Amino acid sequence: MDGEEVSKVEGETRRRRKGKGKERGENPARNRQQNNFLPSSSLSGCQIRTEVSKARWVEEIGMAQVIEKNGSLWATTGVIRNGNLYCHIEEIGYLAQIGALVLLDDGENVMGLKDIFTKCADRRYGCTWEFFEAYRDLKSLGFIVGRHGQPWSLKHDNLKPNSNFTVDTDFIADRIEELQIGAANLIFDIYKPNSKFKKTDPGAPSFIICLVGDWPPIRKEVEYLEEKCKLVPLKFCHVNHGDVRFFSFPEVSLPVLP
Amino acid sequence: MELSGPRWKGKNFAQIANSNPMSEIIAQLQVCLSNSESAALPIGTDFLLETVPELTKLLNRTSFGRQLTTSYDSKQYFQLSPEETFYLHHFLKCLKVSIDNAKLIDVNDLWNFMRNRSELFPIYYRAYVHLRSKNWIVKLGTKNGVDYVVYRHHPALVHSEYAVVVDWENDKGEKQSERLRVWSDLHCAVRACNGVAKAVLLLNVMGYEVNFSLPELLERTIVDERQITRWVPSQCRDDCKLEGNKGEHH
Repeated sequence: MDGEEVSKVEGETRRRRKGKGKERGENPARNRQQNNFLPSSSLSGCQIRTEVSKARWVEEIGMAQVIEKNGSLWATTGVIRNGNLYCHIEEIGYLAQIGALVLLDDGENVMGLKDIFTKCADRRYGCTWEFFEAYRDLKSLGFIVGRHGQPWSLKHDNLKPNSNFTVDTDFIADRIEELQIGAANLIFDIYKPNSKFKKTDPGAPSFIICLVGDWPPIRKEVEYLEEKCKLVPLKFCHVNHGDVRFFSFPEVSLPVLP
Repeated sequence: MELSGPRWKGKNFAQIANSNPMSEIIAQLQVCLSNSESAALPIGTDFLLETVPELTKLLNRTSFGRQLTTSYDSKQYFQLSPEETFYLHHFLKCLKVSIDNAKLIDVNDLWNFMRNRSELFPIYYRAYVHLRSKNWIVKLGTKNGVDYVVYRHHPALVHSEYAVVVDWENDKGEKQSERLRVWSDLHCAVRACNGVAKAVLLLNVMGYEVNFSLPELLERTIVDERQITRWVPSQCRDDCKLEGNKGEHH
């Protein structure tokens, strides 16, 4: 191309860009995403954080003890056992993914995301990958999410004053039960976002989440699970390759019309 | 989705509906049809009924059947579904039916006739009776990918509120159908119906056995009503305050 042709093409490009300038200007992030064929993020807000907490993994209880607590998120995350703060693997996974938590092993080594995610999927710690994805989905939207039926705060007075401190594993770990594969499991107690939430007195949850397996629940199962939840509304969660969806099946009574 | 109540198609339509209770119009239809000589005849999988203007008007007002447009003035023609035909004949006891174009058929023979044509007829009829006997208008739901759509009054006055899917189980609570077996069935039904402002109503005919007689069908089955609702947490209603947590994520 000679100089004249180059400037002609440049001029045309400028004019085209000018015409589309408004569109481009409106959403530069999206344009970058489209130009680089980037997928949309599974979590918005994964940015450099100034408030990072630290926790140490305790294998015997399948949880981590929080050793450096930073930020206001701890008002609605983690459980208190005898004055100490612990968190479940799904909480660790979420906080680590957004950069709010560094997890140490029993030494001073930092555990990477790969190890943390693997633990989420491990099943030994009362969590599965789908369970974690559902947790992350709700937590990132501001809901307060606790494991179903497990107290947010517990005091235990059995520690003898002169003995070496031992970890009472049953007490802290609240009997981690392995989730049944393929079956419907009640997994979370959910509270709506609430700045006045107190772990010592959380009140009744706004609803309970049931994680369902490969097949939608049938009526008999829905009724059985509703009875277990007593009067708390029940929502069913299905996770399909990272896509988290919720359904409910409330009983209705179509009125008799005049 | 949460429906905020019936969506009337015009300003005073709710009052018009209130002043014309469907049960009263149906009572008028019963009288008119009982006095009519006309009998419904099988036509394809449906039934054809020849009518005169007074009966035509009542069938239209109660939304039974589909009127076939013709150029004739003195007589009109309606196409009735099997459920509609059987409901008018058996439940409302006002429609005559003739199979061989000569003799009028009785309810037991008509029941056998319907069952022979479609093994699912009893289930759909049970659901149809459940809805119609509460004075809801019931129309076919094919357009919405469901079994029925139901209206609080005549479709000219109000939009339908529910898209109905019929399921069934035996007396041990064991699901007997292939409806809503996989997750994509649920996603599909909910998405299709929410897009047209209808909630999905799941009617479960409970306690059904294949060999039931007509009285057994009506006396030994119960119809359970549940809505299938998708909950989208990010669209939580206004009493869900999310501002308190925004600081953590930015």
